[in-house]
Amino acid sequence: MTLGPFFPREFAAGANDLTKGANGEVIEVTGRVVQLDGKPLDNLVLEIWQADAEGRYDSPGFLGWGRAATDANGVFLFRTIKPGPAPGRAPSINFLLLYSGLTRQLHTVMFFEPSDDPLLKSVKGSERLIAKQEAPNRYRFDIRLRGDGETPFFDD
Amino acid sequence: MIRVEPRDPATQSEGVVQGYVQTGWRWPAQPLARRTHGMAELTGPRDLTKRLAPVRGDLAGYGDKRAIGQLIEIRAHVVDEDGAPVPGALVEIWHCNAAGKYIHPNDDNDAPADPNFYGAARMVTGENGLIELRTIKPAAYPVPGTGGWWRPPHVHFSVWGRVWLSRLVTQMFFPGEPLNEHDAILMAVRDAEARARCIAKLVPKEKILIYEYQLVVRGRKATADLP
Repeated sequence: MTLGPFFPREFAAGANDLTKGANGEVIEVTGRVVQLDGKPLDNLVLEIWQADAEGRYDSPGFLGWGRAATDANGVFLFRTIKPGPAPGRAPSINFLLLYSGLTRQLHTVMFFEPSDDPLLKSVKGSERLIAKQEAPNRYRFDIRLRGDGETPFFDD
Repeated sequence: MIRVEPRDPATQSEGVVQGYVQTGWRWPAQPLARRTHGMAELTGPRDLTKRLAPVRGDLAGYGDKRAIGQLIEIRAHVVDEDGAPVPGALVEIWHCNAAGKYIHPNDDNDAPADPNFYGAARMVTGENGLIELRTIKPAAYPVPGTGGWWRPPHVHFSVWGRVWLSRLVTQMFFPGEPLNEHDAILMAVRDAEARARCIAKLVPKEKILIYEYQLVVRGRKATADLP
């Protein structure tokens, strides 16, 4: 039973699909979010922000923003367009996490493959920021908040 | 491209907090990494209201749909890092009812639900960066499994400033509430002035209860992020 914040179901519903009217390769991004003892977290809210297929942010044809809540198995799912590379950044998706037990919002980033991106070189454990391709159009990005194999987070 | 200052740890709670046991399960053990901000961090969604439509500017209701509890008005100003109002900013608001119960199915607190209180609204600030919400005052409620931690009355706000990094999710508290100084979440904000910014002010000389509050999305005087 969570402490709260009891983020309204209505606010998370239907905001996890970024593909409507957008050009580019449709992909699914999924993952499980767990805490220190491996327990999956229910109703954790994730928000994403990404470029369009050409690597442009805030482009008129693509909202680029989405929100999803994890289910009882701790699993989230986004349907989106695979982003292109932006200046200075390999194709990636910014993630923001909100939940009870977090004293501020948590920021991280997901990449699609190893690359020369400076973030992947500078951050400890950066291999955990690279999604696993489960299928031609499906990427898995599991997130561990604390403990062994913890996902790197940023002081944004 | 705008520049965004790092958050000041004294004005923003962080880490594992004594008395807030869930932080020990969920807050990262590794220090947060610093990264150079690029286009991804310094841009933000435009026209978010196309995806997240405004809903309900009034949670108290009228007549036989009137929610139980103390009527109040909340005036919240969305302000940016330069102290300027942010017009057209999307704000989500939610809180529990006058008995301490949230609309969410995960809330199994035994307080009664109120069929006339939905408890969630989404509004857009006007030209002056302001939203005005008519609602009922939320109650304090016991946190399950903690043997004696009651959250003081509070209202949740989720705000979009202009860019990804000026996203603010926080909680507004009420002045003069005795539980404020015992709340592990509010008291984790170490700087006293920053803590005071989390508490609304009762507008003086008004004959109705109006609480005024600032949602400063970023910068030196930013409102603490309190998910």
